[in-house]
Amino acid sequence: MESNRTSSGGLDEPGRVVHGGDGHVHLRVVDRSPPEGAARRPWDWARWLVVALGGMSVASFVGSFLLPWWRFWLYAPQYPKGLMLVISLTGMGGDVHEIDLLNHYIGMKHLADAAPNERMLAGYGVAAIGVLTLAGMALAGKKLNKWVAIPAVAFPVVFLSDSFYWLYSFGHDLDPKAPLRIGAFTPELFGNGQIGQFATFAQPAAGFWVALAGVALAVAANVVRSRVCTHCAHASECSLVCPRAMVLPDKARSAS
Amino acid sequence: MRAHTIVTATLLATGITAAIVVGCENKAVQQQQQASGNLGASTSVADLMKSRGLSEADVEAALKTYVPTGKMDEYYIFASGGQSGNVDVIGVPSMRMLKVIGVFTPESWQGWGFGGDSDKILEGGNQGAHKIRWADMHHPNLSETKGEYDGQYLFVNDKANARVAVVDLADFATKQIVPNPLAASDHGGAFVTPDTDYVIETSQYPSPLGREYAPITEYKEKYRGVAIFWKFDRQKGRIDPSKSWALELPPYTQDLADAGKLDSDGWAFINSFNTEMAVGGTLDGKPPVESGASQNDMDYLHVINWKKAEALVNAGKTKTIAGMRVLTMDVAGPEGVLTLVGEPKSPHGCDVTPDGKQVIVGGKLDTHTTIYDIAKMKALIEQKKFDGKDAYGLPILPFKESIAGQVEIGLGPLHTVFDDKGNAYTSVFIESVVAKWSYKDYKKPVEKLKVHYNIGHILSAEGDTVSPDGKYVVAMNKMSMDRFLPVGPLYPQNFQLIDVDGEKMRYLADMPLPNAEPHYSQMIKADKIKAVKAYKPGTNALGEIDPAKVEGGKERIVRNGNKVEVFMTAIRSHFTPDRIEVEEGDEVTIHISSLETAEDQTHGFTIDMYNVNVSLEPGKHENISFKADMPGSYPMYCTEFCSALHLEMMGYFLVKPKKK
Repeated sequence: MESNRTSSGGLDEPGRVVHGGDGHVHLRVVDRSPPEGAARRPWDWARWLVVALGGMSVASFVGSFLLPWWRFWLYAPQYPKGLMLVISLTGMGGDVHEIDLLNHYIGMKHLADAAPNERMLAGYGVAAIGVLTLAGMALAGKKLNKWVAIPAVAFPVVFLSDSFYWLYSFGHDLDPKAPLRIGAFTPELFGNGQIGQFATFAQPAAGFWVALAGVALAVAANVVRSRVCTHCAHASECSLVCPRAMVLPDKARSAS
Repeated sequence: MRAHTIVTATLLATGITAAIVVGCENKAVQQQQQASGNLGASTSVADLMKSRGLSEADVEAALKTYVPTGKMDEYYIFASGGQSGNVDVIGVPSMRMLKVIGVFTPESWQGWGFGGDSDKILEGGNQGAHKIRWADMHHPNLSETKGEYDGQYLFVNDKANARVAVVDLADFATKQIVPNPLAASDHGGAFVTPDTDYVIETSQYPSPLGREYAPITEYKEKYRGVAIFWKFDRQKGRIDPSKSWALELPPYTQDLADAGKLDSDGWAFINSFNTEMAVGGTLDGKPPVESGASQNDMDYLHVINWKKAEALVNAGKTKTIAGMRVLTMDVAGPEGVLTLVGEPKSPHGCDVTPDGKQVIVGGKLDTHTTIYDIAKMKALIEQKKFDGKDAYGLPILPFKESIAGQVEIGLGPLHTVFDDKGNAYTSVFIESVVAKWSYKDYKKPVEKLKVHYNIGHILSAEGDTVSPDGKYVVAMNKMSMDRFLPVGPLYPQNFQLIDVDGEKMRYLADMPLPNAEPHYSQMIKADKIKAVKAYKPGTNALGEIDPAKVEGGKERIVRNGNKVEVFMTAIRSHFTPDRIEVEEGDEVTIHISSLETAEDQTHGFTIDMYNVNVSLEPGKHENISFKADMPGSYPMYCTEFCSALHLEMMGYFLVKPKKK
């Protein structure tokens, strides 16, 4: 620490090994400022924005995998605190046992029987979206770029459609020998509903919102990336990956 | 521009969804507001008072005790259920009965003693050759930590059969009954030391230790009193008899007891009457005990240094009687462990003040309470300044040098409880009043409030801890005469709630006790009790996960010779299996687990005609064993109205007759 202070006087020699007054080698300083007289390129900041947006997008999808996606509440006089069902990508939590128990009176299947394949594949799905999103950033300027972003954008929509399918399916495939026959129905996926004496309320949870944010971030990363390329003199030289545009300093590129 | 558009669109989409969600929540809030209602008073309070003949004091009392639906009481009372052998749990200030906890006596709602695992706990309390299924419960005591109630356990004694029980306040269920091997009756119990190291149980009517026979003519030589120091293992939540010990006492009739606290921690005090050692003999023309025992002007307060006694016990200075280590009087007297001091006349009540500096004794046949100064007594014992010895060689302290003073209370002072302002409240039996006086300034006038009628014990909010709350006092009246609707010649007892928050005591409410005569009670702040709402799946009556617990899908019937084991589950609204067929004479065990997890979803299980009924709270497991000795077709069903299809929650237990 002390020697750092001694050597700080030598920072005017960029990219050089600095020798402190005590004869020890201390720091290797890399100067990232544009060379004297060179015009600062208008899109420099964007390179880092692309990396940040892409990284946050992938982190969002991983986070959403760990968070609950949807919540259902059921209220009835004898459940003053209500019952809650929490749906995540790989399973469900909350009062599953009690809700199953109540459902058996109307002949509904066990909640554990819902969407078994989807829950099994969800992990791979999120992993694939992460990989494709990163690939999308790498494929900037290529037509393929647009296509690899589709899974990320579609994911929340697929989740919603699939959830609706299972709600419909559970509400329409009731055991005809059940003690209570209430007729086919589809539980509400959004907002207020009513099933027998139960007032229901459903809404997305943190995981869904985080995934949606992940979509927005992925799209934003791609848009910014495309614009970086448009302004880059070497865009035509880029093959699949353009590391220069992403992380290397201006010095590594020649001025246009 | 393109990036800008997309960011804006995303923000917009999020905003719209959020608005939908918020909108839905608002609707839910509105519904709740509608449900809570907006009732306008249709009759004016003045009209109501007039039509019901209520005074302003009545209305004030009503407002102080009314607990509207959805709100809860501030305190719990744990009252001894007297002859019912069970504990009454009451809410304060509403004075509503919340529960009766089955302890010594079978209680059929809780399935306490009707074929399930609770039978084993009741069996553990058998004394001698008889199956004992009743009790005369006297003194409940809450477990303490540093002299404060901790809300974990309740200890109760059975005077008639000399037993102590442990009730776990996590599930409000009895976990253990411990029979006293030495005494034939008890009274001074179950009092705890300030950290619940010991639960003290003192005999009442003397008898030969170990309950041997000895002719009554040898009363002075062979009959003895005894104080048991039951060691409580808080980790296990059980009394450990193997680590417990006893102190032999002279055959004076020991009465109530209290443990010292703060300055007097390590000491215990027991009062006594009948130091005359009268044994009656009315047929032979001798006076009955009531007059024989009331001749002396002074009886003896027993002053016990239990910390020192414990050290002597650990040093092996004991004699083993009926399997228990007993510190005898010939050791305890000279060692300064057991000392006597006079107390006027035929006393009752023996209560250590919250600061632990004094013991207050009420003289039943005297008009005073006597306040003993513990520090003075300790010093006298230290200096061996005695007034002589009793017939058993026990040193007697000089009375006048032992007391701090006496206060003229009235006719028949009994028990004393305390508030947070230095006041003492003494129950005065013959006068039927509660007397309020200052145990810090004896010259303050005594205030009296009439109660209805013949007050026995008295209790106050956290009244025997190191920091009483004041607020409420309850007069526990033995008679109710003209207070309630007539219900035949056996009258309810009467608990009267008294407000002691103000300058003067104010009467608040009556509560009839319909099930027996409670003795002592204790009142604890409600938030100290952490009651569980459901059991961990498979928990049995002993509080353990039962090795035979049954999981859903693993129900089965296993036959092994003439032993049939049924592994059964209960869940709304069916038992699995719902048909059991056995042969006459089979030994049947039904292991039954409730698969319920939700709050307040209890099932019961009975087999008709077999005297079997268990309560299956959520997660509870029961093991029911019996001999299928009556051939026939017996319904079995759920005895707790559990659901709309509760009546359908049934099955058959079939016993095929033996072939002849």
